[in-house]
Amino acid sequence: MDTKLSSIFEGFPNKQRDDLIPLLHKIQDQYGFLSEELIIEVGKYLDISVNKIYGVATFYDNFHFGPRGKFHIRLCHGTACHVAGSSNILSELEKQLKISNGETDKRGLFSLEVVSCIGACGLAPLIEINNEYFTRLTSDSLKEILNHFRENHNSIYEEQ
Amino acid sequence: MSFTIQVNNTPIEVQEGEILLNALRRNGIKIPTLCYMPGFTPSGACRLCVVEVEGKRDLVTSCAYPVEPDMVVKTNSIRVNKAKKSLVEMLLSNHPDDCLYCERNGNCELQWLAEEMNIKERKYFSQKKSEQRDHSSPSVYRDPAKCILCSRCVRVCEEVQLVTAIEFVSRGNKTTVNSAFNKGLNISSCINCGQCIMVCPTGALVDISHIEKIQTALGSTKKYPVALLSPAFVASVADHFNIKPTENPAGLIIAALRSMGFRKIYDLGWANDLNIYLEAQLLLDRSLTRPDTPMLSSCCPAWIKYAEEFTPEIIADISISKSPQQLMGYLVKNQENTEAINESRQLYTVSLMACVANKYESSREENTRKGVSEIDATLTVREFIKMLRSYGINITRLEPGVSDSPFNSSSAAGYQMAYSGGKAEAVAFQLNQIINGDKKTGFKFTPPKNPGSRKEVKVKIGNQEFGFAWVNGIADAQKYFDMLKAEKRTDIHYVEVMACQGGCAGGGGQPVYYFLDKHRTRKKTSQEMEKNCKLKTSAQNMQMIEFIKAGSKSKEKLTGLHTHFTKRNVVK
Repeated sequence: MDTKLSSIFEGFPNKQRDDLIPLLHKIQDQYGFLSEELIIEVGKYLDISVNKIYGVATFYDNFHFGPRGKFHIRLCHGTACHVAGSSNILSELEKQLKISNGETDKRGLFSLEVVSCIGACGLAPLIEINNEYFTRLTSDSLKEILNHFRENHNSIYEEQ
Repeated sequence: MSFTIQVNNTPIEVQEGEILLNALRRNGIKIPTLCYMPGFTPSGACRLCVVEVEGKRDLVTSCAYPVEPDMVVKTNSIRVNKAKKSLVEMLLSNHPDDCLYCERNGNCELQWLAEEMNIKERKYFSQKKSEQRDHSSPSVYRDPAKCILCSRCVRVCEEVQLVTAIEFVSRGNKTTVNSAFNKGLNISSCINCGQCIMVCPTGALVDISHIEKIQTALGSTKKYPVALLSPAFVASVADHFNIKPTENPAGLIIAALRSMGFRKIYDLGWANDLNIYLEAQLLLDRSLTRPDTPMLSSCCPAWIKYAEEFTPEIIADISISKSPQQLMGYLVKNQENTEAINESRQLYTVSLMACVANKYESSREENTRKGVSEIDATLTVREFIKMLRSYGINITRLEPGVSDSPFNSSSAAGYQMAYSGGKAEAVAFQLNQIINGDKKTGFKFTPPKNPGSRKEVKVKIGNQEFGFAWVNGIADAQKYFDMLKAEKRTDIHYVEVMACQGGCAGGGGQPVYYFLDKHRTRKKTSQEMEKNCKLKTSAQNMQMIEFIKAGSKSKEKLTGLHTHFTKRNVVK
């Protein structure tokens, strides 16, 4: 067990069953995702069956079990977005990135997640890439956005 | 305190605090359920137990609703019937509908309900489930498409066996019952006990069938099929077909096996006697060296796997005798069979057991030789009954046969091993025989009558007092071991551990019944069979004793009767 994980565990000295979900959140924040090894370590620490933890974690959409891309795309599929044509945006995204919902592309650059309403219905349809909103999308504007990220992926976060 | 409630315009007497479902069923009122199991946490998943209670706006699930004074209940009103029918129709909406190809065809609770509710056509259409089937385990086969998410298997695995090899994964219409990280059962912590098969209302969990393998061997010109018939198997077949012990059920099964094409039929009770002989000897040795910690029985393969996975520190306390099946496999495969050699055929050993863990046990590495298992196939009671049907054998009309030498003698101990508590008694008798010889010393083994008390018996043998205990169900076993540790007890010397409730009588290879406590009637049958045995204790099985005496001269032969266990690293 590395020091990062043991320092997370130190925050939960009581080893209670109800520590499970906060603990999983902490681990996901630190590691980016919940790997099998990490879940097994949590099971040992809290003395809960690994299978039970996996069952709990898969119940919530918020937990994920594989690494995400550098640019995590969340596509809103709420009612307003749906009416405004988010299904077309989804198929365009899938075509462009060659991944489907919940997957990460081979280069580790993009990952895609379809979510329910993210509360910007007036600007539908929209996607969110790493907390940045891109609104009133069309197929063309989507292509442009993706190309921008693709071409500048090395420099994008260094500028800031 | 008891009071009356009105059910369908008839008053019935109920106890205070009782669950409504229990009260209704006790009074003979039919309430269909798919998820309810007596003695387990109610899950309310299937909702088929709904009833109408006057004054309540909604229908209530009777499995999780306590009785109240002056209740007025209707179980068959139009509203209730409509709701129930809809529920079954919705369960069927994504069911694969492949009853013809299903193991549980004709013995499926969902099928019965669909028939009882008069469902003639598909009312709701939804996408059929298409999860991966899991053939990875040597004992249990999972087909999640047939799963109705009743959670019976999940609860048995967790509450009876403490294993939690299967659990609900994902949410909503994507929910499945799956093993950890959706990987196969073979690398999960599953102990192969098969209790999940026994409670599954549909065909989502069945055993890995060996029928075809056995039929191929029976027809092959290169194989020499040998059947090893265990007493627990005989008792449950007798129970299933209502054959009285006086009608010689073992003989009838032997006759059936011969007509199927088995060349030799050996009595596995012989190996049960040997196992008890070995364990009594080991217990005696241990009482001299380490009298303060108990020796644990090693005959249940599911319990062994549990110990290897979850409590490796306890392995040193487990008896090193092989289980009866493996003893028999070892002896039969190592004995020279002139008939097979003359016909240049290969021995093919088929054990007839009441257990699916035996299918896994024979594949353990220490039970194989150059990659070939000592037991080639295992036939469970379920599979045997099916084979009888397909061969058109009416077992009650056969002329009883006899088993073949050199393994054709067995004592009542074999039948004792079929239920929880029996083996401890048999070992105690054998130990008495070793210490006191044949002298009548008034040896008595009286199990406690009170069902709530600890299952322990203390007997004085020679100068020492020995404590015998028995547990069934891993949760029960773990609780008992924890208690022994906590109370620092040193007066228990032998603990019989069986993974299934009721011992082998409730084993995972038994016929699947609608109710779970069938093991009680099988135990009764076993006890009646015991009374009909000529030989009462293992020590009276002279054939086995002669073998030991002959074997003790050549050491190699006896070391093959012992085994070893290793710590397993699994996802748990």
